Amino acid sequence: MLIKNGRLHDGLGAVSCQDLRIGQGRILAIGKDLAPEQGEEVFDASGMEVFPGFVQPVSVWGINGSMTEIRPSSNDNDERSNPIMPELDGFYAFNGRAATYQQLGAFGLTCCGVAPADNNLFGGTIAMFCVDGVNPYKMCLKRGCGMMASVTPNLKKTYGSRQQAPMTRMWTFANFALQLRKASEYKEEEGKPKDDKLAALKQVVEGQLPLFVSCDSGASARQVWDILQDYPKIRLVLVNGFGLTGDEEWIVENKIPVIARYASNPLDEDAMTMDWKAMAKLSGQGVSVAFSGTYTNSMGAREDMLWNGIEMMKVLHDSEKVLPMLTSVPARIMGVDDITGSLREGLRADVVIWSANPLESYQAHIVRTYQAGQVIYQEGDAMKCM
Amino acid sequence: MYVIQNGTLYTMDGQGVIQADLRVKDGKITQIGQGLSTEGAQVIDAAGKCVTPGFVDAHSHVGGIAGIGPNQEDLNEITNPLTPELDAYYGINPNDKIFDTVIRQGITTSCVAPGSANVVCGWVVAYKSAGKDRVVRRPVAMKGAMGINPKGCYSPKNLAPMTRMAIANLMRSYLRNVQEYMKKKADAGDDPAKQPPYDLGLEHGIPVLEKKIPLKVHSYMHDMMTLLEIAKEFDILVTVDHAQGASDYLEELNDPHIHGVIFGPTCEPLFPGEGGKLDYECCKGLDDEGVSVAVMTDGPVTTVNMLLFEMGECVRRGMDPVRALAMVTSNAAEIVGVSDRVGSLTVGKDADILIWSKLPTLAADAVLERVFIDGESVYQKEND
Repeated sequence: MLIKNGRLHDGLGAVSCQDLRIGQGRILAIGKDLAPEQGEEVFDASGMEVFPGFVQPVSVWGINGSMTEIRPSSNDNDERSNPIMPELDGFYAFNGRAATYQQLGAFGLTCCGVAPADNNLFGGTIAMFCVDGVNPYKMCLKRGCGMMASVTPNLKKTYGSRQQAPMTRMWTFANFALQLRKASEYKEEEGKPKDDKLAALKQVVEGQLPLFVSCDSGASARQVWDILQDYPKIRLVLVNGFGLTGDEEWIVENKIPVIARYASNPLDEDAMTMDWKAMAKLSGQGVSVAFSGTYTNSMGAREDMLWNGIEMMKVLHDSEKVLPMLTSVPARIMGVDDITGSLREGLRADVVIWSANPLESYQAHIVRTYQAGQVIYQEGDAMKCM
Repeated sequence: MYVIQNGTLYTMDGQGVIQADLRVKDGKITQIGQGLSTEGAQVIDAAGKCVTPGFVDAHSHVGGIAGIGPNQEDLNEITNPLTPELDAYYGINPNDKIFDTVIRQGITTSCVAPGSANVVCGWVVAYKSAGKDRVVRRPVAMKGAMGINPKGCYSPKNLAPMTRMAIANLMRSYLRNVQEYMKKKADAGDDPAKQPPYDLGLEHGIPVLEKKIPLKVHSYMHDMMTLLEIAKEFDILVTVDHAQGASDYLEELNDPHIHGVIFGPTCEPLFPGEGGKLDYECCKGLDDEGVSVAVMTDGPVTTVNMLLFEMGECVRRGMDPVRALAMVTSNAAEIVGVSDRVGSLTVGKDADILIWSKLPTLAADAVLERVFIDGESVYQKEND
């Protein structure tokens, strides 16, 4: 399969008119004037824009929510029985058909992460999946991309309202520090039962597993960072970006990645402090800034990634600066950049052909979406309805 | 007095898209033309910019929901499925800081409705985001709701409506009661002794039965066909609000009883039941069919920056960018019933004006630079 004459945006900041060859699910070659091989299908992408698929890092796609089961139940990424649940694996929250049903390929996505909700101090690990398929084991790109933690008021709302801890930020931060301390001292010993919680957090403390912390403000992000000073191996990723101003030297100096979430609920005062200019400022200083969808458990739109990009375009007005925030940067943060997130030879053929640049014009629509070289959506396909 | 000079004016009336100057005096648009005299007037340079009417959000709850949690709500009175006597005007806090957010999205008038907990919810008001006289018109509609919201609010209380069957009956029974009330009043003539006892809820329904205001109804998918049946039966005007799934009923909705269709919000995934179809393409379909169509934020529960994205997604599906703009200007004003005041750049109308860096329904990175309400500057983009 040869995609000819398109404008290739590699997702790393470069754009050029080149041809792209797909085979065995991968990008086999990128170059000028590639000649079709015998019997090779050629797609003429003249005048079209070829993008990597969007990578949504901390999403809720594929999670059967309370409205999709016949009995009331919480979302499958939201285990509200104990605020300290680092031993859980987000992988088990993912229902392949539920993700496929949303037809995310029609919105430019080819990869999404399933993250435990922000309602627990430690929620469990994050897994990355394809957006179209059935079997989660076949769809999974990576398990254990990071440990999801939260110091937001969601903890208080979840547990404090039941007269359980945490009722205050004091508990949240005390236990954040305490669990990390215990984990750093923890050793698996023969003859002693394994402590799953501490064993999970041990990987965080040892730096094997990045620590994704959902923060509601710049101040709480800084408090997290201060606690982490005792654990130099921990690889922090800040989630939400709420309240950051772009002037945080500690984020810039330590190159702490930020996954910004979309401020979709005006009644959520924390979320409304997400400042696009601040994200642009951090990015301009070399910080890895990625975007994801809606905050916490609210229902995300399938357009969230594109709309995030459009909001960022209103600040940066340069699609090659914005596109990496939707593709290669989230892929790198999630540790799947050797699989997807950019147009490079050898990577999975997660490719979206747009009629025009969707970060510039609303007239842009998707002509074809490939996930690992397979067409999962093309122009004219019927949109599903439940 | 000031003159907005050399802008590309998307007038959204018969003048079309023109390069012209626009004069504002005493809160109104007083002159539109080329080379207007600037003597004694402040000049606002709009060369290379797009000038549009202020946006009209045809369905929202801004100012009436203060926050997340109990007792924060002033637009959903979930104590009786029939509350026609209520009026959204009293639920609005004019000082709610949400209006700052609303202005930054270019929304200068919001059609603020009671929430959709009840089958008949109360009067709707058209309300400006800023200014001395915030009420554009009151009432502009009677709000109603079908489907999951009334069911979801009352069935946990073991009260009607628990089903769509009961919703249809409740809506009918209210309209019939208004009809009978009107008849009794007419029969009584000038004789006060024969007048029926005063009933505020039924009084509020009279302009609906007189076709002076529409019944503005939360209705998705097949609910809109039930609504159309009721509208024909009582010969009233209705607006189909939210309207997801309308692409299945394009021909049916081209009916004189359908005063307009208001689509959105769309910041959600597919979900079972009435949220099972997310068909932006219905907007172009309805527009082509000649049905007046608008989009909504439904704010503040959902994001108030929804309008641009909704228009943009319609353009992505083939709608002309200027027709898309009509969904938040001329069409929206007409559906809401305030087109004599707002919704177009027309001499004599309120000076509710937006200045954009580019056409916002086409250019994804268009930035809103100025907002004027009743001629007053209420927002100016800070310089980078």
